[in-house]
Amino acid sequence: MSVASVPFSFSRLSLIAGNTFLEAVRQKLFNFLLLLAVGLVASAQFFREFNFGSSELKFISDFGFGALIFFGSALTIATTAQLFFSEIENRTALTLLAKPLWRAEFVFGKFLGVFAVIGVFCALTIGLMMALLWHREGQLMDIRPEDFANGRLIAYGDLVVVGVLQWLKFGVLAAIVLLIASFSNTNLFTVVTGFFVLVICHLQYLARDAWGNVDNPLVGLVVRVLGFVFPNFQLFNLADQIGQGAGVSPIVALQVAGYAVAYIGVIGGLAVYSFRNREI
Amino acid sequence: MRFDSAALRPFRTGAVVALGLFAAGVALRPLEAPAWQSIRAGQPALRLESLKDALGQGVTVGLLGGFRAIVADLFWIRTNTIWEGNDLPGTQTSIKLVTAIDPRPLYFWLNGSRMIAYDMPNWRIDKAGGYDAVPDAVKRRFDEEQSSVAIKYLENALEFHPGEPLLILEIANVHLNRLKDNETAAKLYLEASRHPDAPFYAARIHAELLRKLGRNAEAYAFLKQLHPTLPTNDIGAMPDVVLGRIRELEEEMGIPETQRFQPRHASAPVLPAAPPAP
Repeated sequence: MSVASVPFSFSRLSLIAGNTFLEAVRQKLFNFLLLLAVGLVASAQFFREFNFGSSELKFISDFGFGALIFFGSALTIATTAQLFFSEIENRTALTLLAKPLWRAEFVFGKFLGVFAVIGVFCALTIGLMMALLWHREGQLMDIRPEDFANGRLIAYGDLVVVGVLQWLKFGVLAAIVLLIASFSNTNLFTVVTGFFVLVICHLQYLARDAWGNVDNPLVGLVVRVLGFVFPNFQLFNLADQIGQGAGVSPIVALQVAGYAVAYIGVIGGLAVYSFRNREI
Repeated sequence: MRFDSAALRPFRTGAVVALGLFAAGVALRPLEAPAWQSIRAGQPALRLESLKDALGQGVTVGLLGGFRAIVADLFWIRTNTIWEGNDLPGTQTSIKLVTAIDPRPLYFWLNGSRMIAYDMPNWRIDKAGGYDAVPDAVKRRFDEEQSSVAIKYLENALEFHPGEPLLILEIANVHLNRLKDNETAAKLYLEASRHPDAPFYAARIHAELLRKLGRNAEAYAFLKQLHPTLPTNDIGAMPDVVLGRIRELEEEMGIPETQRFQPRHASAPVLPAAPPAP
């Protein structure tokens, strides 16, 4: 029975996603990075002594998001590449794709499995950070009640929003890694390229600023084109807006979420296209 | 020779992927642009000019969105270590690096400018042979040069914290203490005092500088306007001190008893009469 004779199936896709999720949480890497991130967030209080500039609560929040972003990026890239190539190297991909299974089901199943794992990572890290902030804020309210005349200062809803947006950013990153893996031959190449693309996506706005108005029209054109090819990851950097002015704007949060979801769809689709042209 | 179209397949795939990404970037720009504009407006640290000093200093991890605060704090500790060695270029570079990484905390800007304006002229004098050997004109030049750097640095800070009274006060302090320019300092203290979050002493120093400049009438008018606005329950407002200065000016200016300022709210007695002789 060929693939063309069976319709696209969400149940097959969810089976692959569930299996990918189970495989991922059994990995030592996931548990190791999760422990590191959770340990770092929990130890934020001990790093208070190093804090000179911002308020203590802001420092804990910055520190927590730092751990989330750093370890979350490492986890996304490494897990996505590892789970994809384990199927290729163990030849299970051959067995799977010999059956009436769409390559889109395989790729998006892998994606959803990884996305769920990253979701668990984000939920645990943000949950711990919020608990820590709540606890410390309560202590400070007892010590300096005059500073909390209008109640708690931390906008916990904003923390959740920023956490969700970070999760979506990791989703875009996972889709990019799957796209790279779809034509790459080795796990190592995929991981290294994934990290480079992460840095490019974070700093592409600087290139747009620096080279957007250069005299050489050819260089300007190349930079503009590259500015369109790579997604702008600084867009997800809303943690700085927590506790500032009106906080995180719901409209901006929705725009950023829409941007991420659209990119996940497009890059995922391109990964499927590229994977269909690959000989396993 | 037969043309093998399969050989071109990887190139075709690559081209389609690149084109797809480009098309997605173009199509999503209308969604990205307003959000990006709003995020950037709230985060001046994302401007290229502010990051130029930080790039290439091994702080990329900090700039990728996480750990900005802790990276800046660690660099601040390093700044203090360099400062202890009286290393002028090293300290100056390190101060600028810290605020390039994290321009949000005022602490870095204020203390960095103090190092530049108050410590560095002394280091330069020491290096040039010490206080006894260096002529006054050279000392003055060192003061002026370092003050100029500190003021530029604080003006840069104002781009990140527009209208922040503590930064304006710091510029005023440099004009007053290092450049001995009472005229400019008075203007800046006045500017800072107009901000709702300004410390009360800004207005008092402005009035004192007007007195030093011999503009007693102006100082008197300013203090008369200021006094009714001062809260009595804030220790920093010091309405009695202000009233005392108003009375001093009335004495100096010879204002008749009947035309003297009458405070609206009760204050502690000012310039009390001498106690009766025992």
